[in-house]
Amino acid sequence: MSDVNEKTRNAATLTAVVMVAVALLIGGTAQAAVPGITASAGGSSTFNLVASQGYISQPDGALIYSWGYGCATNSATFKPYTTGAFCPSMQIPGPTLVVTQGVPFTVTLTNNLPKGAGNTSIVFQGATVTSTGTAGLLAAEAAPAGSVTYNVTFANAGTHAYYSGTQPDLQIEMGLYGAVVVLPSTIPAGANCSTGIPIAQQLGGGSTDFRLAAAAYNHPEACYDREYLTQWMELDAHIHKQAENQVQAIANCPAASVCPTALDVKTEPYHPSYFLINGRSMPDNMDPSYAPNYPNQPYNANPHMHPGDLVLVRVIGQGHWQHPFHEHGNHVRILARDGNLILSQNDAVVPPRLAGRMEFNTDTTPGQAFDGIFYWSGKGLGWDIYGHTNAYAVATQPCVPDANGYYTKNSGATASSPNYYEWCADHNHPLEAHPVGQIGSGGPATQFDPLVATNGLWYNGTPYLGPDAVGRNRGPTPLPPSASTMNPFIESGIAFMWHSHNEREITTNDIFPGGMLQMMLVDPPTFWIDETL
Amino acid sequence: MRKPYRVLLPLTLICLATAIAGAQATGVGGVGIGPTGPGGNGTTAQGGGSFRVQCPTTTPLHPTAISNSAPGTPLTEAAEPAYTGPAVTPETVGGQSLSYTLNGGTVKCQEISGGDGYSTMADGNQIFMFSFGPLSGMDLIKNGQAGTLFAADFNNYYNEPNQPAVAAAPNDTPDPTYDPKRANSLNGGIADPGTIMEIGVLNGNIPAPLMAFDEDDEFFLTLSNVGMIMRPDLFEEHTVHFHGYPNASSYYDGVPDATWAINIGGSATYYYVAPDAGTYFWHCHITPPEHLQMGMVGQLYVRPRQNREPAGTNLYNAVAGSATSGTFGSLPGPGMQSDLRTACPGTGTTPAAGYTYGASGSIDILCSAPIPLADTGAVQVAGAKYAYDDGDGSTRYDIDIPIQIHGFDPNFHFVGMTFNPEGFADMKDKYFLLNGRSYPDTISAPSTNPGYAGLTPNAPAQDPTSNAIGTEDSDGLTRYSQPLPTLITLHSSPANGPSRALLRIADLDVTEYQTLASLGIPMTVVGFNAKLLRDQAGNNLFIKTNSITLGGGESLDAILDATGVPPGTYFLYTPNLDHLSNDAENFGGLMTEVVVVN
Repeated sequence: MSDVNEKTRNAATLTAVVMVAVALLIGGTAQAAVPGITASAGGSSTFNLVASQGYISQPDGALIYSWGYGCATNSATFKPYTTGAFCPSMQIPGPTLVVTQGVPFTVTLTNNLPKGAGNTSIVFQGATVTSTGTAGLLAAEAAPAGSVTYNVTFANAGTHAYYSGTQPDLQIEMGLYGAVVVLPSTIPAGANCSTGIPIAQQLGGGSTDFRLAAAAYNHPEACYDREYLTQWMELDAHIHKQAENQVQAIANCPAASVCPTALDVKTEPYHPSYFLINGRSMPDNMDPSYAPNYPNQPYNANPHMHPGDLVLVRVIGQGHWQHPFHEHGNHVRILARDGNLILSQNDAVVPPRLAGRMEFNTDTTPGQAFDGIFYWSGKGLGWDIYGHTNAYAVATQPCVPDANGYYTKNSGATASSPNYYEWCADHNHPLEAHPVGQIGSGGPATQFDPLVATNGLWYNGTPYLGPDAVGRNRGPTPLPPSASTMNPFIESGIAFMWHSHNEREITTNDIFPGGMLQMMLVDPPTFWIDETL
Repeated sequence: MRKPYRVLLPLTLICLATAIAGAQATGVGGVGIGPTGPGGNGTTAQGGGSFRVQCPTTTPLHPTAISNSAPGTPLTEAAEPAYTGPAVTPETVGGQSLSYTLNGGTVKCQEISGGDGYSTMADGNQIFMFSFGPLSGMDLIKNGQAGTLFAADFNNYYNEPNQPAVAAAPNDTPDPTYDPKRANSLNGGIADPGTIMEIGVLNGNIPAPLMAFDEDDEFFLTLSNVGMIMRPDLFEEHTVHFHGYPNASSYYDGVPDATWAINIGGSATYYYVAPDAGTYFWHCHITPPEHLQMGMVGQLYVRPRQNREPAGTNLYNAVAGSATSGTFGSLPGPGMQSDLRTACPGTGTTPAAGYTYGASGSIDILCSAPIPLADTGAVQVAGAKYAYDDGDGSTRYDIDIPIQIHGFDPNFHFVGMTFNPEGFADMKDKYFLLNGRSYPDTISAPSTNPGYAGLTPNAPAQDPTSNAIGTEDSDGLTRYSQPLPTLITLHSSPANGPSRALLRIADLDVTEYQTLASLGIPMTVVGFNAKLLRDQAGNNLFIKTNSITLGGGESLDAILDATGVPPGTYFLYTPNLDHLSNDAENFGGLMTEVVVVN
């Protein structure tokens, strides 16, 4: 890292800190479920969308001229929560439409794109569509200032993409894309598919179930505790600048002169320098959903979870390129692609069991969606991540293994157990060879000299999880340089990076860090994960 | 020009090392690594210094030490304790009574430097790297082997008059810490801070040192940040990210934002209980678009416990066994389902009661040892190797071929060497590398296949005793920084020698997807991202193909079987045709040869 880049990096870090300060003003560290709308106005399953122009902001300070889908009037029915929610007339990605498998819904799209942009439309991948509007190649279109109506039915549950079917190389690049979450028509029976509040949601004193449904599909192994949706899109600012200039030239053309009537934006050669998750680059994507400083980018990407939570990962590749999405911490079991469950082709059990791969790198592919389940439990680390050691009575906690080896409600744990879902085989096993604070010794490993190490912004200062162990190991005094603002003492989570492993893409227009990068936090069971933030 | 460099640079470094080490009091040969070291329990504290190495001989999980009766020859997998099902062992640890579940395995250690180095591209261009180099297993690394050692071998600490990875030079002065009274030790770990600096500076390799160990081992990996001598303006930390470690701790995950990173002049030891078998890889996680592009990428694989089953063991029963008592290898009996860490209750043809969508819990969707569809009758053969704990022998192979796909952007590296800010948006690879070399250097294996690398101007030096090629560094010494050719030699007739190669392919390119095709011999993909390709019902989902495509950060296992293939030369190459080049040379790139002999 050169001097100059070092400065930019520090600047970016500072930006991150400032952003978090903003987030804290709003009300705590940010995390989110899958925010979306079930209807944009009036009756159920009717979406009145518009396509219009606007600007999105990037963490390097750039405001980028874009086109996006939005709500015709800001009176949508929001899911899974309404606090602070808004649906502007243009947003990137477009509003996430939450619908039900097999239930028809109507989308009316009004074309408010600027003069010269031409027609626009929506393609619903994997759906049956009838429409009324101007005839188009891939889909019926809305002429300038006109509208088109789609009657859409998804036969399959799961995560699906929608995007412009008109001049897609320009219109999708400009931002005309979004997601449809199709809830299964039937929720399967199964231990993890209770429709009430799952125990994972009760942990930490919270009591709100933010799942859109208890299962992603009508399959017992598609049940989940939390869900996050990410849409991956790269952006070539040169294309956006050309479009902006031409739109302004058309709009400002003196009446007496010969004016251009249509855009002629060159979309090749394609050279993106912004890499977006849900329309935002890191660190902006870790601010809350609906944060007021992103009026046209309402959705964040900031996963939090408790140990053992089955986390539904909904992923859509938008745009031009594939991105290898690396989930630190564990593998992801792929459930389905484009709403199609991947099941064993040779199984006596009904329904057949899963056949999707387990991957630590899940490719995002343009126009393709996948659903997967991730969890983190710390199973098999070989040491007690809660820092329990019998030498210290304060750390004494029971760990009774259930049938799978974890301390859960099935083996007597309650929602207030600070080590809920601990891997009991490692319980009380020390990590450290030498005693540190109130953490017992006799373990295999000796830690480095903290004076020769640099601490990260999300580092809780110890190997351990939860304020009890962190407090006994390091004490309540935060470590320099950050005072752990990204991961305060009360939280004391452990952080993992979820990012594009084409590492060039974790930059924002030459600035590192940025781009396709999110920090996933495993929070201790005692920490309430507020998904409205 | 050379001599002053050669004299001055080591002097500077030793001064630096001494300064870092502070009040280092130990004399030549006075430093031991191991449980008796001054730091206790495997740590050797170097006076006030911050270079520290640890490799305990025993741990609570592995209370029995394994010794080496022939210290000059490192132990191999054959010395690994067998797997005969889990054994729950009561122990007193830290004064407390605990129980540990032992599945065989032992303590393994490895030591690496984080710093810089040079390599030579197939067009003769020398390229500057940020890179990791070996500080243990140096002779093994130079010979294309993993530098991972049993504790006994690691603690037989390094003792050589001259550096093994440096070409012999007439004016070489012996290592001042060399102890002629001790037997030479080429592969042992280095605990002396002066020697860590003397050897570690500029010793970066591409690929970074290979790591290989066995499921159920404990792995102690010490990283010493020796600084980047060509970039004294930088204060870069380094880390190790064990890519793909299941249920990782954040603490040992190596992401500097999420945890800590080691500064110049310091060491840190990563600790892992070796996870499920498979092909993983590792890399630095500091400013990844920069440090990965610059070369801090290495390979890592974990061998399955199935390799360690006694000869004659029924492979299916070893996986499917779920009892806590009985005879290992028969049903009912103990096996991989007995240990909940690896168990996959609910998989296979006859799921355990209550596990299939039942009330007591669903299947662990990411479990380690899925039960195969049926008992094929396969039994363990002495010395047999498998990619995974397959339970049916389907992933058996003869030789490991680690293949790292990578790319270098020479402009980025040049800018990185010349104190200028690097741009990320314009990064464009021009060298496409298999194990840090482009064709034809990929087949330059001087001990068996001399020649190709010598065809280009400014050709890299070839080590006469190994397949390593070297580059003359800025201090005038030639270090063998590219130890791994990718020349694959297989036998058409299995009776004559190895015929099935396990290609352990990892892509660490930071800019684009890459495809590797096998011209002529199909590959069978048996694992993906360090997981056996098998559905929950037990059906193997292997893929027979002539090409694979990977993005950065992905790995897979493919078996290349030459059995019955007519002898001749076959190719592994990329059909991304613009990747078949060495910068301006319109020939080379991501390509190597598979030589089939009778």
